[in-house]
Amino acid sequence: MRFDLKVALRYLLSNRLQSALLIGGVAIAVTVFTFNAALINGLAEFQIDRVVGSSAHVVIEPSKPTPRLANAPAGTERLVVSQRALERREQIKQWRSVERIIDTLPGVTGVSYNINGTGLVTRGQQTLPVTLKGVEPSRLAAIAPIDRNIVEGEPRLGLNDVLIGRKLANDLGIKVGQPIFITSNQGRERTLTVRGLYATGVDSLDARLAYVNLDTARVMFDLPEGLTEIELKLADIYAARAVAKQLADTTGLEVTAWMDKNQRLREALEGQGSSGSIIKMFTLITIVVGVASALLLTTFRRRPEIGIMRSFGISQRFVLSVFMLQGALIGILGSLAGCFMGWGFSYLLAQAGKTSGRALPVDPSLGQYDVALLLAAAASIAAALWPARSASRIDPVEAISQ
Amino acid sequence: MTTPLLEVDGLRKVFIDEEFETPVLKGVTFALQRGEMVAMLGPSGSGKSTLLSILGTLMRPTSGSFRMLGRELTTLREAELSDFRNQQIGFIFQYHHLLPDFSALENVLFPHAGRLWRETRAGRERAAMLLERVGLADRMHYRATRLSGGQKQRVAIARALMNQPALVLADEPTGNLDRENADQAFALMTEIQRETGTTFLLSTHDRELAERCERRIYIQGGVVVDAPTSAAPSRQPLRMVPGEVVAVVDRTTSASRDDGDRRLA
Repeated sequence: MRFDLKVALRYLLSNRLQSALLIGGVAIAVTVFTFNAALINGLAEFQIDRVVGSSAHVVIEPSKPTPRLANAPAGTERLVVSQRALERREQIKQWRSVERIIDTLPGVTGVSYNINGTGLVTRGQQTLPVTLKGVEPSRLAAIAPIDRNIVEGEPRLGLNDVLIGRKLANDLGIKVGQPIFITSNQGRERTLTVRGLYATGVDSLDARLAYVNLDTARVMFDLPEGLTEIELKLADIYAARAVAKQLADTTGLEVTAWMDKNQRLREALEGQGSSGSIIKMFTLITIVVGVASALLLTTFRRRPEIGIMRSFGISQRFVLSVFMLQGALIGILGSLAGCFMGWGFSYLLAQAGKTSGRALPVDPSLGQYDVALLLAAAASIAAALWPARSASRIDPVEAISQ
Repeated sequence: MTTPLLEVDGLRKVFIDEEFETPVLKGVTFALQRGEMVAMLGPSGSGKSTLLSILGTLMRPTSGSFRMLGRELTTLREAELSDFRNQQIGFIFQYHHLLPDFSALENVLFPHAGRLWRETRAGRERAAMLLERVGLADRMHYRATRLSGGQKQRVAIARALMNQPALVLADEPTGNLDRENADQAFALMTEIQRETGTTFLLSTHDRELAERCERRIYIQGGVVVDAPTSAAPSRQPLRMVPGEVVAVVDRTTSASRDDGDRRLA
C-alpha cells in the first residue's frame, strides 16, 4: 500500500466520528443528487412517454414544392412570397423506395404507411368534422397502441370498418356495430361500420380521429398510389433527430423528429432539467463546503504533526497527497453510500407508488449514479485542495513550537 | 585536518513583524567536525533554537552562510532542502513529538517510508533494529500514546537516526525527562554517536549533560561567544556575561571515531 494512503487512512480512522459524519454528509448530498435525478428524469420519461408513446417519433411527409422563381437582374434582391399550391395534391408517390431505405435503418421498431385526410361524419342530423387516418390493418398498433386502447369492440379494420374514439361515439350517440356515413374532403362518400371504440385519454384524438383501412382511404382520398405520411417508432427516441436528418437527406422528403413537433414539451423538459441541475449544483456545493471545512479543522488540529513530518524532510507533495487522499476517500465512500441510498429511496418510492396505484414518476434506473459518483468524488477532492495546500505550507518551526 | 561537517559563517537572523525588527542571531560563526558531540549552551532567548532551526534547514537565515558536507545550504530551493534534511539531518526535540496515530515502529519508519512513498522490508528491518538498539524491542507495535515519556523520547532518538543522517540536532532532548530518564537518553545518544560516528549538536540547559559532551559552544546575545574546535579546544575562561553562568570545562576527548563501531551506520 502506498504510504501516503496508509497515513490518510490512519487519520480518517483515528477520528471515526468525524469521518463518519463527513462520509454521511457526502452520502446525504449524493442521495439528494441521485434521487433528484431519478425523479426529474423519471418525470421527463413519463411526460415523453405520455406524448411520444402514442405518437410517431419520426414523421415523413411530402416535400413542399419549391416555387419556381422568375429571372431577375443580377444583383437585385428578391423577396419571395409563396402560397401553398392547392391545385396539386401533396403526396409521397415513391414510398416504396422510402420503405426500402427504412428497412435498412437500425433501431426502427415500428413503421406505419398512412393516408390522412379530413372528412365529415354524419349520423342522423348530426355532422361532425373528423380526421381520417388510413392505416394498414396489420400495422394498426405500430405507432399508437390503439389495440390496447380499445374499450369496446375490437381492433379490426376491414375495408368497411372504422375505429373511432369513445368521445366521438358519445357525441354522435353511436355504438359498436352501427354504421356511420363519412364524406371525405375529396367528396367521396362511404358508409362504414363502427368496429371498435378507443380511449387514448387525449381528448383531441378521442373526439376527432377515426381509423380506417388504408385501401378504404385510397378510395376516399383519391390516392391510388401515394401516401400522405409515413410514421416511424424508434428504439431510442433521442436518435429521432439523427434519423430524421438521415431520411431527409436520402429521400428529399419533409422529415420531422418528435421533439421538433412538440415545442412545448421540449420547453417543459428543459425547464425541469434546469431546476434539477440547480438542485444538483447545490448538493455539490454542500459537499465542497462540508469537506473543506472539516478538513481545514483537521489540518489545524494536526499542525504540530505536519510540522514534525516536514522537520524530518517529508516533502510538501507528500503532505498534500495525504490530505487530498482523505478528501478522495471521503468523497468515494460517501458517494458510494449515497448512490446506494439514492437508489434504495427511489426504488422504495417507485414500489410504493405501484402498490398504492398512484404511480410516482420516479425511475430508480435514471439516478445518474455514475455522474453523481464522479462529481461527488471530484467535489471532495477539490474541497480537499485548499486544506491540503495549507497543510503542505505549514511552517514546521511555527507548528512544532505550538 | 579533514573538512568540517558543518561550517557556519556570519549567520544572522532578524525576525521582522509589523512593528519590530528583532535580531536574534547577530553573526554566528563556528564549525562542527565529523563525529563529534557538541553541547550548545546559552540562556533562554539567546537564539539556540533559532540556530538549530536554521542549521536543520527549517528556517532560512537573514544573511550569512553555512555549508554542510560541502554544500552551501542557504541557496537551496525548498524541495531540495526538504530532501537534504530527510537524508542528512535528524531532529530530536524537547517534547518527543511522536505521531500519536502510529506505532513506535511506524514512527521510526516514517522519515524513510515518507521519502519513498512506500514501506520497504529493509526500512522496517532498520526501524526494528533501531528500536531494539534503544531498548524498545518489546514495544515496537505499541501506539506512541501508550509509551512512557522516557520511552517516547527513545523512539524519537531512533526516528532521528532512521535515514542515517550525518548530523543530529537535539533541542533540549532531555528537558522534559526526569533525571533518570534524562541520563538514560543522554547515554543512549552518546553510545550511538560513538557507534555510528554521527555528529550530534545538543542545545541544553543541563550543564551536567553538557559537560559530558566532547565540546561545548556558548551562545549569548545572538553570537557564539566561545567555540573551541575539538582539534584545538579552548581552555581559556569564557567572557562572563551577566545573568549567565557558563561552565568553562572542556573535555578534549576527540578520539578518532573512524575506528568506532559503525554497526548502526
